[in-house]
Amino acid sequence: MTSFNLNNSPFWAAVWAIVWKDLQIEKQTRQTISVMSMFSLATVIMFNFALEANLAAARQVATGLLWSTILLAGTLGLNRSLAIERENQTMEAVLMAPIQRGAIYLGKVIGITLFTLILELILIFVFIIFFDKPLWRPPVLLVLFLGTVGYIAAGVIVTSMTIQTRTREVLLPVLLLPLSLPLVLPAAMAVAAYMFPQTPPFAEVQSPISIVIIYDLLMLSAGFLTYHYVVES
Amino acid sequence: MELTRLNRNIRILNWVTAVALVIALGMIFFYAPVERTMGNVQRIFYFHVASAWVGAVAFFVALAAGLLYLRKPDRKWDTVAVASVEIGLVFLTMATVAGSVWGKPAWNTWWEWSPRLTLITIAWLTYAAYFMLRGAIEDEEKRARFAAVYVIVAFVTIISTYISIRILRDIHPVIFGGTLESAQGAEQGLQEFAPGLESTRMVITLNASVAAFSLLYVAWLANRIRLQRLIDQTNALKIRLVARLQGGNA
Repeated sequence: MTSFNLNNSPFWAAVWAIVWKDLQIEKQTRQTISVMSMFSLATVIMFNFALEANLAAARQVATGLLWSTILLAGTLGLNRSLAIERENQTMEAVLMAPIQRGAIYLGKVIGITLFTLILELILIFVFIIFFDKPLWRPPVLLVLFLGTVGYIAAGVIVTSMTIQTRTREVLLPVLLLPLSLPLVLPAAMAVAAYMFPQTPPFAEVQSPISIVIIYDLLMLSAGFLTYHYVVES
Repeated sequence: MELTRLNRNIRILNWVTAVALVIALGMIFFYAPVERTMGNVQRIFYFHVASAWVGAVAFFVALAAGLLYLRKPDRKWDTVAVASVEIGLVFLTMATVAGSVWGKPAWNTWWEWSPRLTLITIAWLTYAAYFMLRGAIEDEEKRARFAAVYVIVAFVTIISTYISIRILRDIHPVIFGGTLESAQGAEQGLQEFAPGLESTRMVITLNASVAAFSLLYVAWLANRIRLQRLIDQTNALKIRLVARLQGGNA
């Protein structure tokens, strides 16, 4: 069975092979990250338009805008990354390999999380320029990272199902956005707490951050254990 | 044969539930005392809490059915899961509507985007999406399998909602398994009713109401499962009929 020994265990070798494969595909095509970034920029500009260039209002809701943009761009990245597997039938090939399904799941989660984190770095830069918010603070980056892990953990399992249905891309946001909001709500609360000039006491952000971590762990375990039932045909 | 026996049991269950609901309703209006600060409006409480309770139980049953289906793919577990999610959604809607009607006199607003109310709306959407997923898959076995995975994933959000409700500050009071911190956050609601079950008659009425609603859940579940079996039987008969007719023509 699974051995969680990091060195040379077949399980982790499989995980890193999947991650490496996704990074190689991205290096060749540059599709996922470029689509996500273009979409995000368009979204941010659209939000500005909706707020009628009212900078004061935009600044107040900036953390909410940041999370909304990440969620929407995330659905694109998930669809792209998992649809490629189906179009080229690479998933069938991967499934033929004698590796655990959980390893494929973890590999996909790590790969798409990396793409989303790169997107977030771009977005943070954009938001600092447009909304003048201290988003570079290390705790903010940590919360963004934790939130992204949970979101993609839910996303990989849901997208693996939706791409096998009749309605495909349309169904993903309908399923994934409600599923991820219990994660994003506390994460956005924690980020918002760090937007004031003075750093908040840890006690204030402790509750939301612990909810985010619990969600991450539960969703990763649920995905890890059920992925097998989603990819088998 | 099996269905007729089921029918009789379900009929008995339906009558017992109807009587229990009448008793609970009678207790809410005539046995429970008038609450001091809120007056008669507080009687919504018994209805609201009981519906919310059944909603939570229904989603838990759906989770259990999903896990059992994945362990051993048997159609009956899929039927239980669908039935339970359907009923859970109805009860969640009832709890939300009742809460909103109560919110108007208590908070002077129908709706407040507090974490708890927001998360409950999200939970409603999560389980409504369950039917969208089912509707998009034609293959029966695959539909049941994906639906089972989805209820498990959806329940993760229920757990995190449950925790959020208990540790984030909120206007809404906590009734089941509350902590001191959340109670402090809910001071506005607290004065009105949270420890507010000061009288034994209130506690008895609440318990009777929860019991009656739980019975209603069981009765609905039984009826819904029976309905699903009838649908399956009809479909099987249709297929046989078509096969017979085609065979006759050939």
